[in-house]
Amino acid sequence: MKTTRISNWQKFVMRNPIIQFVKFVYISLKVMIIVAGGHDGTRTS
Amino acid sequence: MEYVSNDDKNKTSKITYDYLINATGPKLNFEATPGLIPGQNKCNSVCTYTHAEHAWQNLEKLIQKMKKGFKTKILIGTGHAKSTCQGAAFEYILNVEKELRRHKVRDMAEIKWISNENELGDFGMDGMLLSYGSHIMKSKDMIEMVFEDRGIEWILKAGVNKIEDGVAHYETLDGEYHKEEFDFSMLIPSFSGHGFKAYDKNNKDITDKLFRGFMLVDADYTSKPYEEWTVQDWPETYQNPSYSNIFAPGIAFAPPHSISRPRNSKNGNPIFPSPPRIGMPSGITAKLVADNIIDQIKTKSKTLHHKGSLCNMGAACITSAGYGLTSGSGISITTFPIVPDNKKYAKTQGRKLGKTFGTIGLAGHWLKLLLHHAFIYKAKMKPFLWLIPE
Repeated sequence: MKTTRISNWQKFVMRNPIIQFVKFVYISLKVMIIVAGGHDGTRTS
Repeated sequence: MEYVSNDDKNKTSKITYDYLINATGPKLNFEATPGLIPGQNKCNSVCTYTHAEHAWQNLEKLIQKMKKGFKTKILIGTGHAKSTCQGAAFEYILNVEKELRRHKVRDMAEIKWISNENELGDFGMDGMLLSYGSHIMKSKDMIEMVFEDRGIEWILKAGVNKIEDGVAHYETLDGEYHKEEFDFSMLIPSFSGHGFKAYDKNNKDITDKLFRGFMLVDADYTSKPYEEWTVQDWPETYQNPSYSNIFAPGIAFAPPHSISRPRNSKNGNPIFPSPPRIGMPSGITAKLVADNIIDQIKTKSKTLHHKGSLCNMGAACITSAGYGLTSGSGISITTFPIVPDNKKYAKTQGRKLGKTFGTIGLAGHWLKLLLHHAFIYKAKMKPFLWLIPE
């Protein structure tokens, strides 16, 4: 299968500081929720 | 106990303990690949601070040569058929590529990735299906997209078995033997246990009860085929089954099996990644071991309430893909759970979509920078450190 390429528009989004700042806040919160969201065993549940 | 560094080197002593936490991390098993020696045969490593410093000095020299018109070949990836930690090599290859562009010598270098992974983006975790913006994509496609964008070629299903001066010899899963030349390489070695011997107070050898390379814990070590692996095989408390006051969090515990599907070459040699337990899972498992010991001391109870299986735990990997406050880039990937639960998330390759996501861009670089300072702050035991996750 042919490799998907990163389009020029996607590159613009990846480098735009304003869009990326919004994304920074979003992914910081999301990462925090996933990572600090708790952990447990698997044998009792 | 034998001291291995500083003024007390080679001195031995006996220490009694109530609880023992084996948190040594892995031994960097360079000797498992003949010729893979940092600083020799054009090999470099970034596994320790000193290694990384030397690697940068060597790369800097190479950049100067490239500026004078010397064409180079750079090889980065795994240096053994069963290496793990592909993520670190992935981060390094992207940083090297960015650094060459910064010095305007990118066109003078051929950069190649070599790995024991069956597909790109396996990372020793059997790859993953992840949310990418509004799309759902395989980690393989995401990493391929990045390598293609950066002009990085790749060799997969490759078990490096010998290094000579500027030449990596490897075997592929189809049983063929090849070699790859390079002017600079950074290949992650295999990891192993430290080869500890254990004795009880009567000087009786108890090594078998404690170690199988790494330390034995509450995992199910019964040998079974990939199709029969379950999440229950993985440990929850990291407590040694024979000695209830001994624990092994982080990479010090012996995993029940790999996470990636085991594959042998046509010659019968195993070529697949070992399971990664480094980084965030190490922090979480160490904390839960400490919490359990605190509980035991306070309550005098032997029950362990704090549990954390890698099959019921999320992880984040923020990969730096180039430095620069406005020109930097990072690849952020989270996965939940770390070890796929193919029963619970049967339709999404064992992972929960949404909690397993990937994104590329400047925001990832900022997040990496933030985490860098946050972790140093936490390591210094400063106020409110508990607010910073592992």
